[in-house]
Amino acid sequence: MAGAWPAPRGPGPVSGEEELPRELKNLNQSLRGIRFEPRSSLGPELLGRVRRGERSEGAVSSRRIRPALRGAAAALVAAVALLGTPHQAADVRVDRCCYDLDGGGEADDGVLIVAGRDEQVRRLSIYEDKDGSTDYSLGDLVRFERGAEPMIDVPLGLDLETHQFCCRDYDGGGFDDDGLLVVGRPPDRVVMAAIYETRQTESTRPLPRFPLR
Amino acid sequence: MHGGVATGARRKIGSIRDNRLARAYLPIVSRSFVEPSVTPPAAPSPDAAAEEQLCRGWYEAHGVAIYNYFRFHVPLQDVAEDLTAETFLKLVRAADQFDSSRGSARAWVLTIARNVLGDWHRRARLRQYVSLGAMHDLVCEAPSPEERLLREEEVGRLLDAVATLGAADRELIGLRYGSELDTAEMAQALGISEGSVRTRLWRALGRLRGVLAR
Repeated sequence: MAGAWPAPRGPGPVSGEEELPRELKNLNQSLRGIRFEPRSSLGPELLGRVRRGERSEGAVSSRRIRPALRGAAAALVAAVALLGTPHQAADVRVDRCCYDLDGGGEADDGVLIVAGRDEQVRRLSIYEDKDGSTDYSLGDLVRFERGAEPMIDVPLGLDLETHQFCCRDYDGGGFDDDGLLVVGRPPDRVVMAAIYETRQTESTRPLPRFPLR
Repeated sequence: MHGGVATGARRKIGSIRDNRLARAYLPIVSRSFVEPSVTPPAAPSPDAAAEEQLCRGWYEAHGVAIYNYFRFHVPLQDVAEDLTAETFLKLVRAADQFDSSRGSARAWVLTIARNVLGDWHRRARLRQYVSLGAMHDLVCEAPSPEERLLREEEVGRLLDAVATLGAADRELIGLRYGSELDTAEMAQALGISEGSVRTRLWRALGRLRGVLAR
């Protein structure tokens, strides 16, 4: 890979900066003065990885993981697998699109759920389908993201809307028995998202309530 | 993924409306389900030489901005490098998804970078930015080593303070001062209006000023 790599961009004028309150101007200048320069070999290394056909596999490259740690990790995974309950299955990834989940008025939002099949949600993301692919892709805008526990990322207040969709298979269980609940502040905020199950219990009595997952 | 049993094939026996707490505290706006359209066929992947050329072009145009974006979020130079490389490895295989009519290339690349950073946060336990030792990658024209050290301490203090802010504030500051997006590009990357960008950024700066004054 020949040729010089570009020097870092210097801070330039940005629209709207002239309206910045006076007391913030010094801080604005200080932050604008911070520039980092990646080492010059990063670009050629990256191109070498592309040339070798490497695929991205994780945010932190595997070259930092020591072989001994790899062995320990493999043993740990095996132990967890052995200790797991017999019905425990691999996680399923469910991607449903397109709804209006952020109150923006357009059905351009999707939900990406990683869950134990018909069980606990491990990850739930609400995204805006920016590229119109009707499923989650790299250029999509993630509006909300959570792990295993339902959470609200801002205090409850006025102007919240709750969007409810029922019933679809959101947890990969094979039945259209799940509901999706999303709370947001139009037009672009999502503050909570969870799924719930509506299936009857084995005794055919309906569930007394619908715990959020 | 988008197919499956038609909605309503199983009897719906309840909904969240039955939850009195939810009904009391949350306004319900029900929407009908919209069936997704058919997923378009994937474009053929270019060969390795074309991918390399593609990657070079994108990296030359946006590599420094992406790296600086990550440096505002992670304290370690090598992690920022990994995240930058991860972003471009993902990008080069999704470049055919970029549509210039939908917005700037910089904002699109930053959207991918944000998703990469989100993945990293999920994996990593290290969430707090704490400046560690020398910042060899800091651009600084200090005339002496002592002055460079002072500058590094000053930048470290600023970024440590940024790390104490909420995720939304950090994101705004990283996009604006790390990757140097302008207001319109930030609005595109965040999916909000330009007015909202300005308001939220000023509020974030106000909170940062408060942290630094403590």
